[in-house]
Amino acid sequence: MRRIALPFLTGILLLTVQTTLLLSLPIHRIRPDLMLIFTLWLVFSYPPLSGGLLAFSLGYLLDLFSGNTFGLYTFSRAALFFALYCFRDHFYLEGFFPQSFLVFISALLEGLLLIILIAIFNPHLLLSYYVSWAKVLLLQSFFTGLISPLLFLLFDKGSAYLLQKKDLKV
Amino acid sequence: MRIRNLTPFRKYSLVVLTVLLLLSALVLMSYRIKQKKGIDFFDAFLMEVCSPVQKGVSFVISSMDGVLQKYLFLIHLQNENTVLKQRIAELQNENHQMKEMALANERMRNLLQFRERMAAPMIGAEVIGQDPSSWFKSITIDKGERHGIQRGMAVISPEGVIGQVLKSAPHYSTVLLITDYNSAIDAIVQRTRARAIVEGKGENRCQLKYLLRTEEVNLGDIVVTSGSGANFPKGLMIGEIQKVEKKGLGVFQYAELAPSVDLTNLEEVFVIPESPMPVFQEEKDQKERKAPLGGRKRK
Repeated sequence: MRRIALPFLTGILLLTVQTTLLLSLPIHRIRPDLMLIFTLWLVFSYPPLSGGLLAFSLGYLLDLFSGNTFGLYTFSRAALFFALYCFRDHFYLEGFFPQSFLVFISALLEGLLLIILIAIFNPHLLLSYYVSWAKVLLLQSFFTGLISPLLFLLFDKGSAYLLQKKDLKV
Repeated sequence: MRIRNLTPFRKYSLVVLTVLLLLSALVLMSYRIKQKKGIDFFDAFLMEVCSPVQKGVSFVISSMDGVLQKYLFLIHLQNENTVLKQRIAELQNENHQMKEMALANERMRNLLQFRERMAAPMIGAEVIGQDPSSWFKSITIDKGERHGIQRGMAVISPEGVIGQVLKSAPHYSTVLLITDYNSAIDAIVQRTRARAIVEGKGENRCQLKYLLRTEEVNLGDIVVTSGSGANFPKGLMIGEIQKVEKKGLGVFQYAELAPSVDLTNLEEVFVIPESPMPVFQEEKDQKERKAPLGGRKRK
């Protein structure tokens, strides 16, 4: 139970930081997606059942506080989790660059998935979102990737401390 | 090898789980698209749980900001003292001008009272958070259904239109900003009375859609709400036209406007709890007076 409740509470905390603290910084347009980093950390630290459910719930939470009317993140976060989970043994994640690169690519892929979903549900907005993807998402993904190694380390340490399990590591 | 490892579910558990969760997400999406009014219990519960945390953090951030400002103020106190002495002399001069302005203010107050008579009832709310993603533009406010807020209600500030309520939990609501791609408001250009739809364009910009090519609009023209939509009263400022383009040979022209409100630094907003027509108090009084008169006639 603790292994589910604690990450969920961490998700709420990250969502709060993302919607309040990061907005007061001068990097308003390129604030990193902390919840995405956390979801990716779950891929490498949690089994598919609890990890998948957590990714699903965090996406749901994100949808609740976003102006997104369709609930796209519930789908995209769960899809991203399972897509990466299938290949998680093939990733080399030792060091700063591999971790940053994986997060950067994942953020771009999620953006692409969101565009596809928007194209399905609201085709006339496709061009607007495509422009937004090119203008904002590239930079945002870059910064998300940049801070991810630090957050991965923090999540590792935090989970080892709180759950008393040394094997939870990226 | 354990026996349970050979069972089909164990073998395909990841596939089954993936399919189940993704299907649930799709079902949720369909449900949200069909959902017309309000939000369900679970959504409301989650918003009620998370929003106080947001509110707390927002409070801490604003308090920290205040402390920092005070500290910086102390550092620059010495320099400011000299500057302030100079300012006193200037202010004495300005004081005479202010007396003149007070008289003008009196006249303005009369105008304001006129404005207040036609104003709709409003619910004040505090902004406690913004959209977690960069794709969508929304804010979370600390008032919800218990305060009379419902989906679709107009959200404004003294500077102009902010957006409309997208979801409302008992004590918190999410507001879709006018700059979001999904936002659309019926509007008119104040000078020419040309009708158009204001749609969000992201990045603190909106665009005027379905603005007829024959309409003459210029840079700097003010765009206001038309009052045709059910939510917004007529005449609320939306923004100022920043760009006009007549591309090709289409029926419509393209115009871009900057919102009158700085949507990146919102702190307090007003929600208009119903969809009032701009009825003047005099008209109301007249109607009220007419009603008993009619009664007497019948007698």
